[in-house]
Amino acid sequence: MSVHRRKFLKLAGITALGLAGGAPAKILAEDSITPDSLKEVTEATATPKAPLVARRWAMVIDLTKCREAGDCNDCQKACHLTHNVPDFGNPKDEIKWIWKESFHHAFHEQEHEFLDEKTKHGPAVVLCNHCDNPPCVRVCPTGATWKRENDGIVMMDWHRCIGCRYCVLACPYGSRSFNWRNPREFIKDLQPEFPTRTRGVVEKCTFCDERLARGQMPACVEACKAKAITFGDLEDPNSEVRTLLHEHFTIRRKPGLGTQPEVYYIV
Amino acid sequence: MSTVENKEQMPPAEPPLILGNQTFGTVTDRISKLAERKTTLTWLAALSLAASVALLLLGSIGYLFYEGIGIWGLNVPVAWGWAIVNFVFWVGIGHAGTLISAILFLFRQKWRTSINRFAEAMTLFAVICALVFPGIHVGRIWVVYWMFPLPNQMDMWPNFRSPLLWDVFAVSIYFTCSLVFWYTGLIPDLATLRDRATTKIRKIVLGIFSLGWRGGNRQWKHYELAYLILAGVSTPLVLSVHSVVSTDFAVSVVPGWHTTIFPPYFVAGAIFSGFAMVMTLGIITRKVFHLEDFITNQHLEKMNKIMLLTGMMVGYSYACEFFIAWYSGNAYEQFAFINRAFGPYAWAYWIMISCNVLIPQMFWFRKLRTSIPVMFVASIFINIGMWFERFVIVMSLARDYLPSSWDYYSPTTWDVLTFIGSFGLFFTLFLLFLRFLPVVAMFEVKGVLPEADPHHKGGSH
Repeated sequence: MSVHRRKFLKLAGITALGLAGGAPAKILAEDSITPDSLKEVTEATATPKAPLVARRWAMVIDLTKCREAGDCNDCQKACHLTHNVPDFGNPKDEIKWIWKESFHHAFHEQEHEFLDEKTKHGPAVVLCNHCDNPPCVRVCPTGATWKRENDGIVMMDWHRCIGCRYCVLACPYGSRSFNWRNPREFIKDLQPEFPTRTRGVVEKCTFCDERLARGQMPACVEACKAKAITFGDLEDPNSEVRTLLHEHFTIRRKPGLGTQPEVYYIV
Repeated sequence: MSTVENKEQMPPAEPPLILGNQTFGTVTDRISKLAERKTTLTWLAALSLAASVALLLLGSIGYLFYEGIGIWGLNVPVAWGWAIVNFVFWVGIGHAGTLISAILFLFRQKWRTSINRFAEAMTLFAVICALVFPGIHVGRIWVVYWMFPLPNQMDMWPNFRSPLLWDVFAVSIYFTCSLVFWYTGLIPDLATLRDRATTKIRKIVLGIFSLGWRGGNRQWKHYELAYLILAGVSTPLVLSVHSVVSTDFAVSVVPGWHTTIFPPYFVAGAIFSGFAMVMTLGIITRKVFHLEDFITNQHLEKMNKIMLLTGMMVGYSYACEFFIAWYSGNAYEQFAFINRAFGPYAWAYWIMISCNVLIPQMFWFRKLRTSIPVMFVASIFINIGMWFERFVIVMSLARDYLPSSWDYYSPTTWDVLTFIGSFGLFFTLFLLFLRFLPVVAMFEVKGVLPEADPHHKGGSH
């Protein structure tokens, strides 16, 4: 067969998604993220765009901008809404793809005693780091999570996941959540464009691979009013992420573990 | 040749392994009768109790399938809990049997003959209990077969880099080899039971399972060679299984898990806990079946010495983990171990230390290591301590790299019922074994009687 199944499915998926409506660039730029606004945009945008491709996707998060934005939580709202992430309302069952930590918690080993309080207790947006050397991929017994060779995204296939939760333990960043209960009853505003999950599988951020395939930037990037999140190709010397990495000193989470995260932070 | 000359040539005599002036005939009679006599009321009562408890396991699993693993006390970051603790606990117990049968056989330790049969049975039943847990702990039980390399239309293939895959192979190979080894060892005794059978059904069933054993010279030659080969195959497995189980932890980067000491530490712990369980069961079986002539104080004392040794190896590992955490200079490792001893699970840690390190120290004293009540109680404490060891290790998860997600794991009723139920399954299988099969390897015990030694007093050479 000249076209492999995965490639075929990918093409088919891209075509279908493109036809269905190249959702939300607009929506996510709006002031507040509401299900209605998301739907409106989804229905309104019917122009298919070329998929966004890169050899190595990476994200740069500017914590100074994030700090200035105060209590804003748009990135999480947009992501969780777009991806049908359920809200169980209790910490035991909590599922999160992107969320805010304190700098102190996320970068404990990179602070020192004279670090200013504002930075120390300021926010740090955290998500799956799409590591170059992902410990979760190594331990997955069924290959339900894997590093996509062409662009470096650590993918997650909920249909292959048997729910052993080894990846949850293996991930040192707490980026993975598990559906302890049936999540479908807890999705407030169902987005039909994105699949829901079943009970007993792990889920996490996938750098919005489905949106990239439709030619859109990740939901969190578009939702961030402070423009604190930048997304792009590390292998492209002219990309915005490369420029930021060139101009700023950046840090990554837990560098000592050798996982080589692809999410960089400007402090 | 005179008797006096003979004595001079002989090395200093060891105390006899089997007491009560047993002959080949009395050994056969006493052991076979246990499997041939009518069902006793005590056995029936014990079986009813064990089977009822096993039903708890079935019921809990049924509800688990219906409702999902949210019924357990798990959360993120403690995404593994009692199911994994129980798995490691039971696999550990399943180590002593094959160690006694295979390794002690290769080392020509004749004292193994009285205890190997039931120790091996215990191994198999413990591994069965262990195998229940990895199967039921996954979120989508109906696709658990994806862990096996079965060619399929979905183009799926397991990831052989995952320690869970290694586990699947290590434990299933161990179970298969232990089963074959145990069954091979049973064949001559099954033939003895067949020859003594008085009912047709017994004759047929035992006839099938004894595979046409006649006890001829040629058969014995082949048999002994086969047994030696199986012992050789099983020996590395005793060491590999728990090493592989330990990699489930050691391969990940969780503080407190990511250490190279895990494989030997786990193997020592497994032998330690396995012997403790053999001891617990052995003392009860010996008492109930009046097997004091076969499982003598000498046997029990030797087992206690092994427990003292392995207990100290485990104690050394606990200390070494602390040393390495300090020596590594890694703040997360240091925190993980200080947290073990003084954090929210300190109570579990100190139960573990008391049971596994302090209690075996009693066995330095001959008086204590030959006292049946003392060793019985000690063996139970060691069983408890070894369960807590696995609990302490798994609970490292409660304090992961991200303090905001730290949590405290408390088992739910379903966790507890599943665990208790696994004991029901274990004892049900063990009671069935006690009732229907020879508890002691008759032909092997005959081999260590003075009568079997051609050089013994009054022998033919």
